[in-house]
Amino acid sequence: MTIPSIHSPRGVRRLSLAFIAIALCLTACLGAFAAPRQALAMDIVRCTGRPNSTDDKTVIQGATQSRITFEASIEEGEGVSALTLTIPPDTTFETEDLAVTLLTGPDLMTRNDVAYDLDVKGQNIILTFDEPLDEAGNLNIIVYGVYFPQAGGDMQVEASYRLADGDEHDVEGIPVIPVQGISPTEALSQWLEQQPWVQAWNANRFLHLFLDPTILVTSFPVVLNGFFMSVAIVALAFPLAIPVALVLALMRMSKFVVWRGIATTYVNLMRGTPLFLQIYVAFFGLPLAGIQIPNFPLGVIVMTLNSGAYMCEIFRAGILAINKGQTEAARSLGMTSTQTMLNVVLPQMFRLVIPNLTSEFITLYKDTSLLAAVGVMELVMYARTIVASTGSITPYIVAAVFYLVITLPLSKVTHHLEQRALGGKRRRRKARAAA
Amino acid sequence: MTDTHSAAATAETAGAAATPQAGSGATDDVIISIRDLHKSFGELDVLKGISLDIHRGEVVVMLGPSGSGKSTLLRCLNRLEEPTSGQILFEGEDITSPKVNINKVRERMGMVFQQFNLFPHKDALHNVMLAQMKVLHRSREEAERVAREQLDRVGLADRADHYPSELSGGQQQRVAIARALAMDPHVMLFDEATSALDPELVRGVLDVMRELAQGGMTMVVVTHEMGFARDVADRVVFMEGGVIVEEGSPEQIFGNPKNERTRAFIGQL
Repeated sequence: MTIPSIHSPRGVRRLSLAFIAIALCLTACLGAFAAPRQALAMDIVRCTGRPNSTDDKTVIQGATQSRITFEASIEEGEGVSALTLTIPPDTTFETEDLAVTLLTGPDLMTRNDVAYDLDVKGQNIILTFDEPLDEAGNLNIIVYGVYFPQAGGDMQVEASYRLADGDEHDVEGIPVIPVQGISPTEALSQWLEQQPWVQAWNANRFLHLFLDPTILVTSFPVVLNGFFMSVAIVALAFPLAIPVALVLALMRMSKFVVWRGIATTYVNLMRGTPLFLQIYVAFFGLPLAGIQIPNFPLGVIVMTLNSGAYMCEIFRAGILAINKGQTEAARSLGMTSTQTMLNVVLPQMFRLVIPNLTSEFITLYKDTSLLAAVGVMELVMYARTIVASTGSITPYIVAAVFYLVITLPLSKVTHHLEQRALGGKRRRRKARAAA
Repeated sequence: MTDTHSAAATAETAGAAATPQAGSGATDDVIISIRDLHKSFGELDVLKGISLDIHRGEVVVMLGPSGSGKSTLLRCLNRLEEPTSGQILFEGEDITSPKVNINKVRERMGMVFQQFNLFPHKDALHNVMLAQMKVLHRSREEAERVAREQLDRVGLADRADHYPSELSGGQQQRVAIARALAMDPHVMLFDEATSALDPELVRGVLDVMRELAQGGMTMVVVTHEMGFARDVADRVVFMEGGVIVEEGSPEQIFGNPKNERTRAFIGQL
């Protein structure tokens, strides 16, 4: 192509001509696409999936039983002899109960059965009609037993038809079916729901209420979130409570009445009132006082302060249990009382109280459940939301499992440590006796 | 012999005026001077006016029946027990004064306990190292060097990495002695150091104490080991009912006790 010279007026004219030519060409093309549409023998009326979500009656979920309803209008005298319906990939379906109906009459209220031969090739459902369809009406096809892919997405059904003269045409403009993806556990739950043994299981009212397998699998990942939250609360509150408790314990054993008084009052207050009440006071009292702390940190703070009081008594008992001779030996060497506490008493005390501390950890972990009452999203709270929506107690059982996952091994560890502490003493005594 | 010394003398002059020493290693220099010391636990008077001078390099053994106050007296010397009244001069300083920094005083006074009181969470080496680093601010290397030296001295160089629970009572007590010696004390106080030991283990500890005495260490020893008292003591002090009943050389106390109660006590053995 020669580049028109911009110096010549002819060149400019030639350029504008070229634009006009292109514009005409585009219009013609659009016309060509649009024009045959009016001439088509079949027009899509609808193509829908059946909503199948238990939560939302308008939602179509993947991996859950549904059906596809396909309806297209036929012009009079077109003589449609065959129709191929292509189901979207990864979607399963059944053809035994396939319903093919021709709706005719002024209001399309007359249902006419259509005789056809059925052939299924992969995702294609091929209907070859015994008689070409000449009457004006809507051809309605319902495919049952449809399972859309679990991941969901926009599902495009395709269709094509053959006219009596042998021409093949596609049905244009079929709307997509929006399918919502579901999680693997939901899919598993859906699958379980279909299993005969699950149905038999759930036929027992008690089992259905407390251990419904379908709810078991769906609530697991949700309650797992709560598990992480509860563990996070206790994983923060427990280490934070240790220094609080140490300071309280030392204050309680201080020579100064004021320190002793403050610490004793605090410990008695925290241990003498229910944690539940303390949570209420903190969560409802502080906002009223104009102090806004988000739920999670406030939950951690309350648990820390409460546990600190209990741990204080564990530490105090531990310190008192250390032989007085240890302090005397350290002091006789010229160590100050602080040095003695840090280097001699506390290291021994910690070893001594590990079993009690583990018990306290277990208690603290279980007590995080009380925070559910004020809306902290922890284990019980997550379980409760599912209980509320399903009416089954099963999520609480799942929550129980998540508590036991922590508490049982720790009880075992505590028991082991206690045994070892006893064993250690026995060994030492034996060694002394043997020596 | 009277049961008290003159309380009027100062530490220096008391040294010069002290009773003649029976033992060999002692000098006339008074290191501890106890003056009219009283101690009561509530209503119970445990020490009823004790006065005693202890000289540098001297080994003083305290004898007496249980409850006679000898351990309490010993524990008053480094103020593990607070005296009710009276004075204790240690190297010229009144350590019963509230102004005194008792931790500084204790650095110079080693103590060995009946129950050893080793730190169970540390091995032998670190038992000996701890106070050196915390109190004397010795470096880790220096503390370890001294600790190994002292453990070697008590014959436990090969037990440095053993925890107290892995040591016999006798070994534990020797580690405890090493721990006290590592602080370079001027005086060593032994509070029934062998009483909690099985008989066959006593000897090892006594041997260490004997060597220490021969090395010129000033020692105040509360014990029931008469053999040790006879062999090692420069002076034996017999206490009963919170007072010093009699004191003298071991030969005199064991051979020819003047006091009736002393005689009765020695006679029982």
